[in-house]
Amino acid sequence: MSENTDNNATQASEAKPEAINASCRLPVLFLFFSAAVWVVQASAAGVLGSLKLHVPGFLADCPYLTYGRMQAGVWVAFLFGFAGNAGLGLTLWMLSRLRGMELARPGFVMAGAIMWNVGVTAAMVGITMGDQPGIAGYELPAYASRVLLIGQALIAFSAILTYFSRRHKQLYPSSWYLIASLVAFPWIVGTAHWLLVETPVRGAAQIPVAHWAVTSLQQIWLGTIGLAALIYFIPKITQRELYSRQWAAFGFWLLLILGGWVNLNSGSPLPVWSIKLSQFASMLFVFVLVAVGWNLCQTVKGVPLIGSEDLTLKFMGVSLASWLVVALYTVGNSMAEWNGLLQFTYAGTAMRQLFAWGFFAMAMFGAIYYVAPRLFGGEVDWACSGTYKWVFYLTAVGAAVVGLAGLGLSYGHGDALTNVETLEVSKKALMPMRIAFMGELAFLGASLIFLCSMACLLFRNCCGECSPMSLIRQCCPAKVEGGAE
Amino acid sequence: MNKSPWIFLGVLFALSLSWWGMVYGPASQVNNLSADLGGGDTLKPRVGLAKQGEQVYRENGCYYCHTRAATGGTFGYKIQITQLGDDQKINEEVVGLDYSTQTVFKKAYAYKAVAKAVDSLKAEQGKKAEERDEAKIGDANATLISAKAKAGAHGDDMEVNLKAYGISGVNFEPDMRAQLGLPAEMNEEQQAAVAGARFDITDGTQKWSDIESTVRRLKDKAGAQFKLQPVAKEWPDVQGGAGRQSVLRDFLFDAHAMVGVMRVGPDLSSQGSKIAPLDKDGVPINTREADNKFYKHLYDPQWEGESSHMPPFRYLFRERPLEKDVLAGPREIVIEKEGSSRVAIIPTAKARALLAYMKSLRTDKSLPEAPLVNQPKQASAE
Ligand code: HEC
Repeated sequence: MSENTDNNATQASEAKPEAINASCRLPVLFLFFSAAVWVVQASAAGVLGSLKLHVPGFLADCPYLTYGRMQAGVWVAFLFGFAGNAGLGLTLWMLSRLRGMELARPGFVMAGAIMWNVGVTAAMVGITMGDQPGIAGYELPAYASRVLLIGQALIAFSAILTYFSRRHKQLYPSSWYLIASLVAFPWIVGTAHWLLVETPVRGAAQIPVAHWAVTSLQQIWLGTIGLAALIYFIPKITQRELYSRQWAAFGFWLLLILGGWVNLNSGSPLPVWSIKLSQFASMLFVFVLVAVGWNLCQTVKGVPLIGSEDLTLKFMGVSLASWLVVALYTVGNSMAEWNGLLQFTYAGTAMRQLFAWGFFAMAMFGAIYYVAPRLFGGEVDWACSGTYKWVFYLTAVGAAVVGLAGLGLSYGHGDALTNVETLEVSKKALMPMRIAFMGELAFLGASLIFLCSMACLLFRNCCGECSPMSLIRQCCPAKVEGGAE
Repeated sequence: MNKSPWIFLGVLFALSLSWWGMVYGPASQVNNLSADLGGGDTLKPRVGLAKQGEQVYRENGCYYCHTRAATGGTFGYKIQITQLGDDQKINEEVVGLDYSTQTVFKKAYAYKAVAKAVDSLKAEQGKKAEERDEAKIGDANATLISAKAKAGAHGDDMEVNLKAYGISGVNFEPDMRAQLGLPAEMNEEQQAAVAGARFDITDGTQKWSDIESTVRRLKDKAGAQFKLQPVAKEWPDVQGGAGRQSVLRDFLFDAHAMVGVMRVGPDLSSQGSKIAPLDKDGVPINTREADNKFYKHLYDPQWEGESSHMPPFRYLFRERPLEKDVLAGPREIVIEKEGSSRVAIIPTAKARALLAYMKSLRTDKSLPEAPLVNQPKQASAE
């Protein structure tokens, strides 16, 4: 099995890594930098929103900043702003490297990336004005999702051309994941857009559709990109081969099949069969957990991940651990009693945060730490690499705090919900969120440092004289090179 | 897995599985859901203000803190006899000693005996003169007198009498009623008490398997008529005020099905029943007082001085400070709180729409797939 892996494919590639990096430079850096801007917005809005929960009167006279709108905005900024930009950027770079080909048609990517960011901005402005469609976890107004779909299509076009530009080479598992993410996005967002927002189905049917869309976006879209990064970088940096292709394939297909079913609340107003089915899917998720976890753990056997000297590997270690915890929680949801206790508490939101920050953002921060300097060429490094490790520490601490608070303290709330006195309940409800607020502050810190690091990197390496003009001059050749494909 | 196109096709196929199960399947099933509640009643779509209110609820993201999903729980069955069978012995045996010794039960059979005696007396008196037997009339009269005496022997509690009268299933003339401790002329309330009389023969903690044989015997042997009433056992949402579990059809006419994320605040699925409870005919009772309470809470959740973690939605109101002794306008609602100034508020169209929407959230009508559940507290008070 292991002789089949083509982890070393990048070395044996037809195009030189330098040429690939150069072809990716402008579009991928643009996507990464946009991601950095959005992640700050997401975490800042998260902190503000939580603050409103603890001090209910705070900014209460401003309709644009109600708790509900902030919550909607936080997830849109994270999911589409940060995760979309970073994920698409990384997808392009990884696909080019894995296929050993220069990025095809970077012009399309640039156009797509601009569209994408216009779309996210439109969504954020729309939400502030009260245009969110009322689907927690999706929240894209119709006009925004249209633009996002077009933007993604443009980027995916380039990615898929790159992917198909060489047919004979063996596919590394990460490329399956990346392709899945590219296909899944328009499917999921398209479904949600048409069936929930543009021409909504009847109210009762919206509940399962919304659940499918929200869960799939998280488990499948984010999941595949994040896991692609883990499966790519962990063997690469530890210089080992992926333990098993079969395991990887097994986990991959099961994730795609089960990702949209899992985690339905046992108290959802849905027919019993769909709840039972979802519980069954959550139970089967244990195979995804084992397939992915076992495979990666066997790959790095004996090598510390989180304790490693290499910062990227540290990031990947925490990312893997977080993914495993969330997967375990998903499996736990197959137990009706456990789910019944936690379904209306902070636990679900906390696990989403853990998935978002602990797993996905960690993987992206780590990958960007590795990729971004290479895009400039061999000898470049982060401007002040000492500070980047704070991105790691803060995000890791934040994720741990949020995860622990969500899992540990939500029991009190769940328990109180089974009694009848209201005031007691809302105190218990807020307890985990009070603690998690600390975690959110850490996220804010991490994302600010990340943004600054990105900005430093760009300015130092793009423009000796620090002028935006030379930034453009520096990046222009990249565009020409890529376009010459 | 090295052929690129296969990966594509595989991904499409894998995704289509959950899509089919969670999107296509339910969506087509829901399209067949009808609004019919049975018995000529239908679920009604939201119209006017309530419909606008749904948008206000969405806009402000209330669903991040409130759910609209009363969940299920465990329940027991209460068997409620609405009319006893004719044979007292068999009925006694079926309901068991605990219940057959109750006054209502005894009284009901006493009424049945009286009714029988009245009938036979009438039958005798109604015979043609040549067939009439004075002795038989005398006997019937005596039976009647003793039956009446027996009925009288079981106390004189009007409530008990009405209930017994109801479940006995007999019908007396007004003057006979007067003799039997029943009102000769019944007012509306008393009529309702008779019509709605129920005699519980289980306390609502029983599972179906516990009562199955009783139910069968009631039907087949005793000839009694009865209803089965689910009673919440461990059912927090019902104990907290919901009438029943929320089901898919509660969202049938929603423009946006906002089930909700967390329960930072209470579940709102039965908020309408709280603000405007139903009267006996199933019509909501709207009061200005309850409306204003909602408005005041929305304007300042802490208006009663109790701490609350719900944020105030002051921008949904027009407000003006009010001097100490100044009277407020007719449409204004005054909020006085210790330690802060008086204000008069007028709800904007959005706040009024929100209230109408809240009133449309109810779980107080029975659905075939989710019957109303009794709250155990009420049950014990009965
Ligand atoms: C930050 C979370 C939060 C948001 C947002 C929120 N609420 Fe609340 N709500 C609460 C809490 C906590 C309570 C319980 C304490 C209280 O009664 O004030 C509550 C109580 C209520 C009650 C009283 C329920 C009862 O049965 O006693 C109503 C009605 C209500 N909210 C309606 C709304 C509406 C309408 C909105 C949107 C405009 C909204 N809430 C937004 C947290 C919230």
